[in-house]
Amino acid sequence: MSDESANAGPMSTAPAGVVIEGLHKSFGEVEVLKGIDMSVEPGQVVCLIGASGSGKSTLLRCVNRLEDPDAGSITVGEFDATHADVNLDAMRQHIGMVFQQFNLFPHLSVLENCTITPRRVLKHSREKAEAEALHQLDLVGLKHLAQRRPAQLSGGQQQRVAIARALTMQPNLMLFDEPTSALDPETVGEVLSIMRDLARAGMTMLVVTHEMGFAREVADRVVFLDQGLVVEEGPAEQVIGAPTQPRTQDFLRRVLNPLGK
Amino acid sequence: MALSNRDRARLSLGIQAAIFAAIVVVLIVIIDWTAVQRSFFNVEPVMAMFPEVITVGLWNTVRYTFFGFVFGLIGGTVLALMRIASFPVYRWLATLYIEFFRGIPAILVFIALGFGASLAFGLNLSTLQTASTALAIVGAAYIAETIRAGLQAVPKGQMEAARALGMPAWRAMLTIQIPQAFRIVLPPLTNEAILLTKDSSLIFVVGMAGSAAELTKMGRDGITMYQAGMTPLVVAGICYLLITVPLSILARRMEERSPGRSSRRRPKKKATTSPVSSGVA
Ligand SMILES: Nc1ncnc2c1ncn2[C@@H]1O[C@H](COP(=O)(O)OP(=O)(O)OP(=O)(O)O)[C@@H](O)[C@H]1O
Ligand SMILES: [Mg+2]
Repeated sequence: MSDESANAGPMSTAPAGVVIEGLHKSFGEVEVLKGIDMSVEPGQVVCLIGASGSGKSTLLRCVNRLEDPDAGSITVGEFDATHADVNLDAMRQHIGMVFQQFNLFPHLSVLENCTITPRRVLKHSREKAEAEALHQLDLVGLKHLAQRRPAQLSGGQQQRVAIARALTMQPNLMLFDEPTSALDPETVGEVLSIMRDLARAGMTMLVVTHEMGFAREVADRVVFLDQGLVVEEGPAEQVIGAPTQPRTQDFLRRVLNPLGK
Repeated sequence: MALSNRDRARLSLGIQAAIFAAIVVVLIVIIDWTAVQRSFFNVEPVMAMFPEVITVGLWNTVRYTFFGFVFGLIGGTVLALMRIASFPVYRWLATLYIEFFRGIPAILVFIALGFGASLAFGLNLSTLQTASTALAIVGAAYIAETIRAGLQAVPKGQMEAARALGMPAWRAMLTIQIPQAFRIVLPPLTNEAILLTKDSSLIFVVGMAGSAAELTKMGRDGITMYQAGMTPLVVAGICYLLITVPLSILARRMEERSPGRSSRRRPKKKATTSPVSSGVA
């Protein structure tokens, strides 16, 4: 990509695609990602699955540059994420991220969590930011809790606020890192259904998850990662329903049948 | 015969009370109470010290401590940010400063400023300047460590979430990390203010004019002036408590309500050991 496009101004609100080529990442001596090639088409949902420690989070965090890749290239829409001159803050304003531990700001109300970045970074007026935040909170069914503190919410509600917070920035891509792994089982569904709605609305999504039912229903494609490499990828039905690689079969057997019957 | 737990607890309480009563009786008998009253709780010097002990002594102690604390807070914040900076020279310099001034007695700093500054640089510092600068220099070293610990007590995910939203680093620091760290460090900072209040007494080694006298100086001068025992020191001590006890209560209140304590988040097990989601063949 050219220098100008690396610093391109705001993308449109159209969904962005992701292209990852030859991505390498080590922590000290340990090579966590060993040459990843994969892509997400604009508007598609790709689920990343794989065992603990296989590098899923690291891959996701390289996309918005919370981690710095050692080699390879990543493009997100018009942004060359691995270009030396890329404006990371501008790029991240177009990439929403949802964390396993929610990471809501505990000293701010639910509403302020959703307005602080639009107001302080995008310089939106308070009225505009609050209207947009209340709209997003309404979509996740939590408008009535706007004045609460995050600590007063259940885990599922906190994660829904985290999704609303990300969406107030009008992202073109959403990254989810095991968004339901820290939730009580009965609240998993409310978060997954919001993610499904988001997918149906045409958002580009890259989702790390162990929820195979969700992956099967919502994902356009599933990528299976093992020891820092893409071992198998394809339509959800195929990768989860009829995996061809022994390592994929092995992993799915363990996930779907933890007691090993 | 076996005592029930309840009886045993009562017996233990009874024995403790009996021992205490015996000690009180002995003290009443052997101590010369008029002598105690004469040297510690003499009314005349107390009357003589008022109102100056408040309007001059307490006022000066509060002034010296206040300015020392404010500048110590500014210096300590800068040092704390240096301590966590990515540029290593900042980290080394901050560590050097902190270790040095935490490792030497504070009284050396008072002496250095009180006598050394005029000898070495021809600086003529007022008592207020000497005392609050010395307190700020020493206080900054302790405050820096408190603030650094506070900044690092904010979970890493907070900064990551802010950066992931597109906040520049300085903005995330200012709106997300520092406000949360501030709540965490308020109680220990209050304790720091208590320590500085007491350390302000060290200005006494430098000496000062009567109008600049703080509590310790007044207490000490009172002993020689009134020739009436230690009562002036008791008065000074009580004045210190008027400052430190409310601060201490304040710190405890804030600690009880500190936000970090009620964190209910608990990471759950990974899906490999959790119930399998539905809809899978
Ligand atoms: N900041 C870091 N420093 C050092 N090692 C790290 C760091 N982050 C991750 N690792 C290591 O990299 C490897 C891959 O981690 P990663 O978090 O990407 O795995 P994961 O697939 O997301 O696993 P999980 O399902 O447990 O979240 C692990 O061995 C982990 O210990
Ligand atoms: Mg992970």
